[in-house]
Amino acid sequence: MFRSIRHTSIVFAAALLVAAACGPATTPGPSGSAGASPTASAGGAASTLVWYSDVSDLISLDPAVVYEFSGTLLAHNAYETLVKFEGADLATIKPGLAQSWDIKDTGSTFDITFKLKTGQKFASGNPITADDVVYSIQRAINLNKSPAFLFTDIAQLKPESVKASDASTVVVSLPKTASTQGFLSILTFTIGGIVDSKAVKAKESAGDFGSGYLLDHSSGSGPFIIDHWTKNSEVLLKANPNYGGTKPTLSAVLVKHVPESTNQQFALEKGDADIAKNLSPQQIKALQGKPGVTTASGNSLQLVYVGMNATFKPLDNADVREALRTAVDYDGIVNNLLSGNAKKVQDIVPAGLAGYNDATPFQADVTKAKALLAKAGQTSITLELLVSTGPAPGGAQWSDIAAKLKDDWAKIGVTANIKQTAQAELLTTYRAQKGQLVLILWGPDFPDPDANVGPFTDYNAKSIAFRNGFNDATYADKARKAAVITDPTARAAAYKDITDYMLHNGPYVILYQPTAQFGLRSNVKGFVWSPVDWTDFASISK
Amino acid sequence: MRFLAFLLRRIVGIAAVMIGVSVITFAISHVVPADPAVAALGDHATDAQIAAFRAEYHLDRPLPEQYATYVVGIVHGDLGKSIRTRRAVADDLADSFPATLELSFAALAVSLLVGIPAGIWSAIYRGRWPDVIVRIAALAGGSLPVFWLGLIVIGLGYYQLGWFPGGGRLDTFVPPPPTRTGLYVIDSLLAFDIDALRSSLIHLVLPSLTLGYFSTAVIARMTRSSMLEVLGQDYMRTARAKGLAERIVVVRHGLRNALIPTVTIIGLTFGSLLSGAVLTETIFSWPGLGRYATASAISLDFPAVLGVTLLAAIVYPVANLAVDVAYYWLDPRIQRG
Repeated sequence: MFRSIRHTSIVFAAALLVAAACGPATTPGPSGSAGASPTASAGGAASTLVWYSDVSDLISLDPAVVYEFSGTLLAHNAYETLVKFEGADLATIKPGLAQSWDIKDTGSTFDITFKLKTGQKFASGNPITADDVVYSIQRAINLNKSPAFLFTDIAQLKPESVKASDASTVVVSLPKTASTQGFLSILTFTIGGIVDSKAVKAKESAGDFGSGYLLDHSSGSGPFIIDHWTKNSEVLLKANPNYGGTKPTLSAVLVKHVPESTNQQFALEKGDADIAKNLSPQQIKALQGKPGVTTASGNSLQLVYVGMNATFKPLDNADVREALRTAVDYDGIVNNLLSGNAKKVQDIVPAGLAGYNDATPFQADVTKAKALLAKAGQTSITLELLVSTGPAPGGAQWSDIAAKLKDDWAKIGVTANIKQTAQAELLTTYRAQKGQLVLILWGPDFPDPDANVGPFTDYNAKSIAFRNGFNDATYADKARKAAVITDPTARAAAYKDITDYMLHNGPYVILYQPTAQFGLRSNVKGFVWSPVDWTDFASISK
Repeated sequence: MRFLAFLLRRIVGIAAVMIGVSVITFAISHVVPADPAVAALGDHATDAQIAAFRAEYHLDRPLPEQYATYVVGIVHGDLGKSIRTRRAVADDLADSFPATLELSFAALAVSLLVGIPAGIWSAIYRGRWPDVIVRIAALAGGSLPVFWLGLIVIGLGYYQLGWFPGGGRLDTFVPPPPTRTGLYVIDSLLAFDIDALRSSLIHLVLPSLTLGYFSTAVIARMTRSSMLEVLGQDYMRTARAKGLAERIVVVRHGLRNALIPTVTIIGLTFGSLLSGAVLTETIFSWPGLGRYATASAISLDFPAVLGVTLLAAIVYPVANLAVDVAYYWLDPRIQRG
């Protein structure tokens, strides 16, 4: 009996495998993979964009919860915000659901009054009202998830700071210690996504503000709605028929979780993927000139830098820090290690933000660096350089960049002992102010210079300045004041002063600002990558 | 009765293994020099957020108390909440385990269907060219890194020839069958969904070949050596002397005896398939336990790591138990002993 069952099952398994291996019409098609079925849930491959990327960071699609790259990309396309940045331009805040906004200094607060556009609808068909805006902002504050600090700490909002004065007018009161420009840029981010309060309230359970439902559904007014999220596999977005803006030409966007970059490249070349997000510089190079594919790049706001802990001798000496900055071959890192996938930036504000300082005075000057060390009374220094495992933004491995720095510093008599650890371990050490030299990256929490200048200068904020023992009360104060200046010219001047100072006095070697690289099918048009890590799928066609 | 006692002994043994594994994993995952709260919240989190997170996951409590809380949870069927995905670990495991199970079964099928005939063939033609081919292939199977093999297989089967899909469990536009077991092949059969069946089968080919190559090699070698031993036995000579056809001698009298040691290693092999799925799953975008385990380990998601470890700790002994039970029926000598 046992034997016969075993035989039968083996024969059955064999038959299945043979059938699979010999199955006809199973060759992956030119667009949309093997056998795009007519019962396709996405409505056919022709107008569906297939996006391959590593989305292992995805934990929620709720705009009040997402603070991860993949979640940001998806939620941005399902929700609209009061104000927005368009494309790659982060200099001009444009109307979103609000047609206008007005900032008034009441003496004790800054009051921002938003007038909503009329006739706007959610995907459900419900009209968008001031109550939805109030609910959405209060919901994000009350949920208090990862991005909530943008509202509660940076903008210093309380639930009662947001009020609807009529059906199409919302007033937000900010304390005068908060930056109105910073707040407007926060509103462009996913946490500013306006949810359909009627629909979400109907899904609330046990005081969760509907976050159980919005985890894998959408209830917004963006160009797309979330059709489904199959964990660890894919997220399907479908066009929102009630979208108030220019209707997207794509009927759907399928985001497939493909962690292996070689696999992404293969699928792109075969036509199974329309866009591949996680290709290495070598793969991007290999794609160039191949038929049917093209490449695109986008800016990011990240900075890759070395933190020099000034509580650790001899890094407490400003000349030693300046010597380390002076000795680095920045051009070599950008052009050779990263194949040009980065911009040489040496100050604490990245290009693309107001307050960016384009001065790049440092480039592998061994003589000058040695002189600085001599001035500091140092001839040979040994330091530990902490670096994470895995790839750094721009495409090189963290360890390769560390090795390059070690070489550059060896030329001036500085020995950097590289210690490579998991990111989590590195952060634990760094946050505790226990690193000596730490190679790491920073991306601003919101597209405003304050999101970099604050953490990089203010010791008491217990962020980057603290971790590197940089305690300069004068410039921390200047940074706090610059943040709340409302006049753009005066604000730019204040940031110029701070960044000029930090360039030579900060405890940082700012190495580069990476660019993001993408592989695209040649028929994909209108793709623009926003430096705040998303793309507007509605502007893409294929 | 004796069988029940045997079964009971094994189940008690499994429980003991589980307790041991949970203590060791718990201890190891809590002595790493990094803070899971920092791993989860990252560079930008404030000290207050870190503190709140530590309180939420009881990381601020003494280690024995954390362990006690964890064990009490397990007894109540609660494996805790994943730090990385913010979902119940049990739900995550229920999502990813069937995918790995399906892949492992397919790889095991490949190993048996290819390994056993290859081993027999090799033994019969000992020292001649079929033997040489099998032995070289088996040597390669034992020594090729899975990651490299996977890329070669995908490069050839998908990129060059275009015969098979490049990853995932289903074609892009084929909706998954309604979940009953989580094994797409079974579920699509139950739902009579031919599209999903075809799609899930063809998606299994490349990853199961990649994952199954190593165990195919092991099984082929094991079958070869035990077959060689059996072929030289007196009862084989007797069977031949009786005038039986060579095919019947080999299959009826030889193979049946030669397979006993092979059955023994199937249990072990199945366990190693499950753990070996990590790299295969990454290369083939296979949404299984291996990838879940890797991602969890990288982000110091200790509730998830513990959940995966406990699951693996069950699967190994259960697979071996199944083999032992099979043995018990197969080989009368074991019943006596």
